[in-house]
Amino acid sequence: MEGIFGNLAIGFTEVFKLQAITIAGMTMTLPFNILMCLIGVLLGTLIGVLPGIGPVATIAMLLPVTFNLAPIAALIMLAGIYYGAQYGGSTTAILVNLPGESSSVVTCLDGYQMARRGRAGPALATAAIGSFFAGCVATMVVAMFAPPLAEVALKFGPAEYFSLMVLGLVAAVVLAAGSLIKAIAMVILGLLLGLVGTDVNSGVLRFAFGISEMADGIGFVTVAMGMFGICEIIANLEQKEKREVFTSKVGSLMPTRDDFKRMVAPILRGTVLGSCLGILPGGGALLASFGAYTLEKKVSKNSHEFGKGAIEGVAAPEAANNAGAQTSFIPLLTLGIPSNAVMALMIGAMMIQGIAPGPQVMTERPQLFWGMIASMWVGNLMLVILNLPLIGMWIKLLTVPYRYLYPSILLFMAIGVFSISNQPFDCFLMAMFGLLGYVCVKLGCEPAPMILGFILGPLMEENLRRAMLLSRGDPWVFISPSKPISMGFLIASVLLLVIIALPALRKKREEVFVEEPKA
Amino acid sequence: MALRRLLALLFVAAVSHNAAAQTWPTKPLRLVAPYAAGGPIDISARLLAAKLQESLGQPVVVENRPGAGGNIGVELIAKGPADGYNLVMSAIATLAINPSLYPSLPYDPLKDLRHVTLLVQVPNVLIVNNELPAKNVKELIALAKQRPGKLDFGSGSSGSTGHLAGEMFKMMTGTFMVHIPYKGSAPALADMMGGRIHLMFDNLASALPSIKSEKVRALATTTLKRSSFLPELPTLEEAGLKGFDMTTWWGVSVAAKTPQAVVERLSGDILKAMDAADFKERLRNMGSEPPAVRTPEQFTTFVASELKTHTELVKRSGAKAD
Repeated sequence: MEGIFGNLAIGFTEVFKLQAITIAGMTMTLPFNILMCLIGVLLGTLIGVLPGIGPVATIAMLLPVTFNLAPIAALIMLAGIYYGAQYGGSTTAILVNLPGESSSVVTCLDGYQMARRGRAGPALATAAIGSFFAGCVATMVVAMFAPPLAEVALKFGPAEYFSLMVLGLVAAVVLAAGSLIKAIAMVILGLLLGLVGTDVNSGVLRFAFGISEMADGIGFVTVAMGMFGICEIIANLEQKEKREVFTSKVGSLMPTRDDFKRMVAPILRGTVLGSCLGILPGGGALLASFGAYTLEKKVSKNSHEFGKGAIEGVAAPEAANNAGAQTSFIPLLTLGIPSNAVMALMIGAMMIQGIAPGPQVMTERPQLFWGMIASMWVGNLMLVILNLPLIGMWIKLLTVPYRYLYPSILLFMAIGVFSISNQPFDCFLMAMFGLLGYVCVKLGCEPAPMILGFILGPLMEENLRRAMLLSRGDPWVFISPSKPISMGFLIASVLLLVIIALPALRKKREEVFVEEPKA
Repeated sequence: MALRRLLALLFVAAVSHNAAAQTWPTKPLRLVAPYAAGGPIDISARLLAAKLQESLGQPVVVENRPGAGGNIGVELIAKGPADGYNLVMSAIATLAINPSLYPSLPYDPLKDLRHVTLLVQVPNVLIVNNELPAKNVKELIALAKQRPGKLDFGSGSSGSTGHLAGEMFKMMTGTFMVHIPYKGSAPALADMMGGRIHLMFDNLASALPSIKSEKVRALATTTLKRSSFLPELPTLEEAGLKGFDMTTWWGVSVAAKTPQAVVERLSGDILKAMDAADFKERLRNMGSEPPAVRTPEQFTTFVASELKTHTELVKRSGAKAD
């Protein structure tokens, strides 16, 4: 334990270190690293709020700038952008039903409903508080247990990932229950959409209809913006009356005492689940927010409120998502393995600076390693201080009349989707998903299970086929005693299926993904 | 009379053509990176753009146009205006491998493009998982012969240099191993550290940290010369595989009809950047050693020879894409 405090002391000293900086001929003594952290989280919040413009593109654009900085300052700033974006992403999800990235899809479900009821302030505050708490705890996990947890991550091979994804999908189907058939149909539609693109094993193009823009599959942002954002706009245009503003009652900004009481347990559970899943480099973090929401729905005594603006449905996934974002640094820092595109960029940034990421970073450059961890703490604190006062401003946005708000949202969405690969085609695709989303709403099919299928499908297929290749076609590999983790996940999936098959338990099946019927 | 007017016209045309080259560039340039932001090719494009911006006095904007193994971005430049304002990061994949991998490639890597400068050459390394008993290439070959079809080799994707290097290895040693494609080499490396795959031919830059921290064991480099990053590591040629050469490379290309004067200016400026100490150091940090190929002519000859080698290899490996 003493070692940890010693190390953290090194880290905090590094973060708050005063440095002589020469700007435009003037030399000043500044706490430069902390300034870079602030710039990082500010930028991150900003791009998180802008729909579609994600941390990957931002960090890539800023990379050349960071080469002239000291490695520690560069990494502190880039990390700040990453977790800052996680904070900002929930803002649009709650306010206008726009998930900018996969993790904020679930935040839309209850967060947006809260906003519709004039409780956008408490929803945003809950997201910020949950994220802050989870971020702090997860950073401590990184500081204390990074090396042994990295070993756990290595235990996850294709078979384990496949079984984990099966569990994720079954949970989605079992627990989504406005109409079970419709939920299953939407999951399958999502799985099918996930198949579009180049097959990993053979390199053959599937369902691309000769359109080269679809060779790498359909982008998540394109689908999510269409199914949630555009669809929501179309659905709202239908309303003859009360089309002027989003909501006339803004309500209080801060959560009530009762809200606080209700969010404690979900935040704790979300933090634990998110921290665990974030460690897995092969897509575990994707499941964090979905998993936390599903779990909360199952254990909460307010589960009947889920989908209608339950504060637990915002607190748990937001905590899980931010915890996962922090612990996903573990494989990067200890093994040199990036768990997502942002981490890959961080590796690029480190290598350009002449640092080979891996376990030796911790011993060879303790200032860098512990400085970065300490900066995450400071950064999380800055974010919560920054975001709580901003809530008032965000809420004002909701009083903007639709005729201004909607065209601007559409414009930002189009810019965001276009900026991912600079393809006009993606904007048309987004519009088509908007129409599809509208049709689905009319049929009473909710988009969330589809999105989960769309995210998990490709990962599931990839890992299934890789596991089969490695076992030379032996399907028992998933339940062999040599793979207890995989077997455990599959047993849990079967148990969940049994629960649904028992008619007596059927009425307990609750609505996870089903939102309140649209007026 | 007509002749004189024709001569005058030709003269004017020649002068203005020259003038165009001398005043070039008069507007911002775009450098297309045909991959998603953040990969090594994108990073080096951004580094280069910053340098070119200084020497050309015009902004150089990096534009990511990912898709179809890089073909979309390269096609954009190959079929675009040949005015010298449109550049693309071309690579071994888009110029040498994809032509045989994709049956209907929308461009011809030699006819539709002018190759300006070879920027980066990164060797691949043969790495094995620590539990594998083979300590050198000879033992690995013996092991592969003893257990035919039992060893797995991973790669970043079907048709990647890592995949082709593995196929070349199988061909030259007469062994049979199973190819396990991943989405990028990072997950393949993770599976190797977890003991699920036995070997892979990975690009030096991504494998180096794991080699240094002894999470995996390097057996050989795939280039003809030893790498200065791992000078003690033998080449596959030294290990008995004569002529084994598989290097990942990328550079800058423009549309085929781009004026000669512009190509020369670009090539000169890029080479100047590559000789600058800071830029050199950064490329080196990405695992690259300064290429011996320098002029546009040398680069074009290099592309042609790489295309020939890899066409053969892809055919023999049976890899394909639509």
